[in-house]
Amino acid sequence: MSLNLDLSKVSLRPFKLTDVDDFLLWAGDDRVTQNLRWKTCGSMEEALAFIRDVCIPHPWRRSICLHDRSIGFVSVYPWSGDDRCKADIGYAVAADYWGHGVATKAVKMAVPQVFKDLPHLMRLQAFTSPENKASQRVLEKAGFLKEGVLRKYTYIKGNIKDSVVFSFLSTDEFPHDD
Amino acid sequence: MMERDREERVDLAQISFRTLELSDVDDVLVWTSDEKVAKFCSWEPYSSKDQGIDFIQNRASEFLWGKAICLNDRPIGFISLTSCSATDKSREKSAELGYVLGSKYWSKGIMSYVVKQVMKVAFSEFPHLDRLEALVDVENVGSQKVLEKAGFQREGVLRKYLVLKGKSRDMVIFSVLSTDL
Repeated sequence: MSLNLDLSKVSLRPFKLTDVDDFLLWAGDDRVTQNLRWKTCGSMEEALAFIRDVCIPHPWRRSICLHDRSIGFVSVYPWSGDDRCKADIGYAVAADYWGHGVATKAVKMAVPQVFKDLPHLMRLQAFTSPENKASQRVLEKAGFLKEGVLRKYTYIKGNIKDSVVFSFLSTDEFPHDD
Repeated sequence: MMERDREERVDLAQISFRTLELSDVDDVLVWTSDEKVAKFCSWEPYSSKDQGIDFIQNRASEFLWGKAICLNDRPIGFISLTSCSATDKSREKSAELGYVLGSKYWSKGIMSYVVKQVMKVAFSEFPHLDRLEALVDVENVGSQKVLEKAGFQREGVLRKYLVLKGKSRDMVIFSVLSTDL
């Protein structure tokens, strides 16, 4: 699909209940949720409940917006107690907007904000499937360092997966904008 | 006499595993009070018998599996498995290996022998497990060698993964899969 996507119109903001229609377009799409722990949303009611009960109370979750319409999300989940030095980042974008640098832009915007919002954070980590090359490129372009492949690390939707682990430290340099 | 002690060979056939009893407290204190042993652990060296008793009565049973490493039935260290589901429900088929050995027994091949035995025990006693992993401080070269000799694969370095004794530490992550054996 050819798009004239103006990346300067991509922004991050908290989710609102009124995002439900836009939310369902991508959260209801198996292609978008296949690598997430999220269950694909099957109805308006499910989407509304998910926004209200999960997205809004989440410690750090933002809607990726294009002209203020939700087209995806970025989430950061901090560990607790002695482990609050680290947090996990995840993201997804509506399939129609793949291949235009949206996720990279969103992650690049999120990272400095997250380190400001979470004062104990030293390490932001991300786990991707070895087959998901597009997601690995997002992280590389956003300045994350690939640290290794963790074999049979986790289960997603009943399937055992290897995970490629990436990290961005509070002391790492932000990449220059291209 | 001192020299002969240092060169003392250990007959690996005399190594066994069992649950710690309260009567083991003096042996437990030998390694838990040793600052060389505690260096890369999350705890400070023990300074009282009460701490040894607390470990035996309370901490040792918190693991998925935790046994004293014994030489001629006397504890010289401890080895444990912790289910990774404690921190992530989707990781219940992984367990983290941890171990500690009295410094008098280092560099004799005991720990890698022990780890090899425990790998087999882990996958047979917990057949749902796919993966055993271990995290070792980048500076703890001795412990990295133990895992390599035992057949673990080094997967990478997780930068500033833990804060130990107030400092952030880079940790090497190793794994062995049930299908590797």
